[in-house]
Amino acid sequence: MKIQTLLLLVGLLLPQLALADGPPEQKNFPQGVSTERLGDELWREVRQRDMQSSGISQVKGVDSGILINARGDQWARFRMDQLSTFGGIGIAAIFAIIVLFYVVRGRVPIEGGLSGNMVHRFTDYERVVHWTLAIVFLFLAITGLILLLGRPLLLPLFGKEVFSILASASKEGHNLFGPLFLVSLIMMLISFARRNLYERGDMTWLLKGGGLIGDGHASGGFFNMGEKTWYWMVILIGLVIAISGLILVSPNFGQGRLIMGLSHVVHTIGAIILIAVSIGHMYLGSIGSEGALEGMKTGYVDINWADAHHDRWGKVCHEENLIIPAEEYARLQGQKPGSTDEMATAEQGK
Amino acid sequence: MIEYLIDGPLWYFSLAVFVIGVVWQLVSIVFASRKQDLSVARDSATSGAIRTIFTRFVPHKEISSQITIQVVAGYLFHLGLFALLFFAAPHVVFLEHNLLGFGWTPMPHWAFIVSAQAAFLGLIFLWLRRMVNPVSRLISTLDDHVAAILTFVVMLTGCFALLEGSTGLRLLHRFSVELWLIYFPFSALMHTFTFIPSRAFTGAWFGRRGIDA
Repeated sequence: MKIQTLLLLVGLLLPQLALADGPPEQKNFPQGVSTERLGDELWREVRQRDMQSSGISQVKGVDSGILINARGDQWARFRMDQLSTFGGIGIAAIFAIIVLFYVVRGRVPIEGGLSGNMVHRFTDYERVVHWTLAIVFLFLAITGLILLLGRPLLLPLFGKEVFSILASASKEGHNLFGPLFLVSLIMMLISFARRNLYERGDMTWLLKGGGLIGDGHASGGFFNMGEKTWYWMVILIGLVIAISGLILVSPNFGQGRLIMGLSHVVHTIGAIILIAVSIGHMYLGSIGSEGALEGMKTGYVDINWADAHHDRWGKVCHEENLIIPAEEYARLQGQKPGSTDEMATAEQGK
Repeated sequence: MIEYLIDGPLWYFSLAVFVIGVVWQLVSIVFASRKQDLSVARDSATSGAIRTIFTRFVPHKEISSQITIQVVAGYLFHLGLFALLFFAAPHVVFLEHNLLGFGWTPMPHWAFIVSAQAAFLGLIFLWLRRMVNPVSRLISTLDDHVAAILTFVVMLTGCFALLEGSTGLRLLHRFSVELWLIYFPFSALMHTFTFIPSRAFTGAWFGRRGIDA
């Protein structure tokens, strides 16, 4: 009995003695988990395996058996190192190019100046839809950029306390306004799709770079090739952004971490592309091109602007006698004849 | 210091201005001197008043197709704002603890989000329509724009403070609410209360003359 007890004690103590006095080199068990610095090695093995290791958990749910998601770490590094860095640089570069373009080229004038005679281009509803989408998009772009670039750019400027408030507000605002973007997008699709279908002559516009390449005039219909391409970019990339955003904001439809990570990457890349191109759209629709803003501001454009940028549509306006004289247009806008901005500009042009 | 001011004196001041201002305006309307109507009544003024209060909730057939945006956006905004104001969980708790002493079942979080989105979309649509339509733009005053923007700011700061985790965002929302309450009685926002006597007055006038309108 005494011998048995002694053997049992030796048997229990031997492994402990081996651990205490063993050589410093690693001891690898068949499962591949080192016992040297047990905690470090174990967690490193769990985190850095090539494959996703899944176990058993009493918690029932998507990915609940995965102790640590190694791909999540990869996604976080990609977001911090590449996505935010190159995304920020890309948007800043586009902005710089447009500023440079404006400095070199200036505002593109209309040949012969503005006439003051107008044609109707957009209804009230179409303009409300456009500006709703624009407001929601700008809000989402600003809050999204704060979330993407805030840590490297704003945190050093404002400090942790102010930045945490800003980031928290941006996250809530972004999540709440996201579905409104989808609603506005659908309204935009219904209102403008027919007139944005590609047609004969659009390729000519593209080959001439919208009038920037060569001396010839780039012909365009109600919408030119550039506007149509921008429209379909907004619709298609916008839908991708909206759907990936809904996947991110509603994580209770069975989507796992992998789908969430991918959705985030797709969402961010799509948003960066739209934000970058939208800077060009905003430039061309306002200070970049004379008379362009009027269409979305009042619903009417100068006939000379229509002839210069949308000659095929302008021709139809002439043929069907859709031109509204300056005095009549002023009356429609509730202004005294001769007091409109267009009249003043037209006078300057003469 | 700012927290004390916003949660304390400014809150009570804004509430007092709101209550006294609204009561004063309504009493002024009710007791305003009117010319005595000497015409022979062809029909009941009271039934005309009651009928008009309710029939004005639906647009006239003749113009309904021309004002679809205003009607849809108007209902989206007003119903959304009403739900947010009285059935959002933070508001129910606030009203119970700070004003009424009793509460009621708040709406679930998803309904809160949908109401907020409906209210935002409606308000943006209504304000843009006011801006793009030449007639609406001409008859709009500075007060109309200030009232719309101030309401938008209150809703926006409320949505920012949705997590209820930041004192700064909560104070920002409460401060915007206090500005809104102070502005309310002196602005177009008073239509919240005056739409009923306004419709009733018109309805009574028409009813007495036997006009079905």
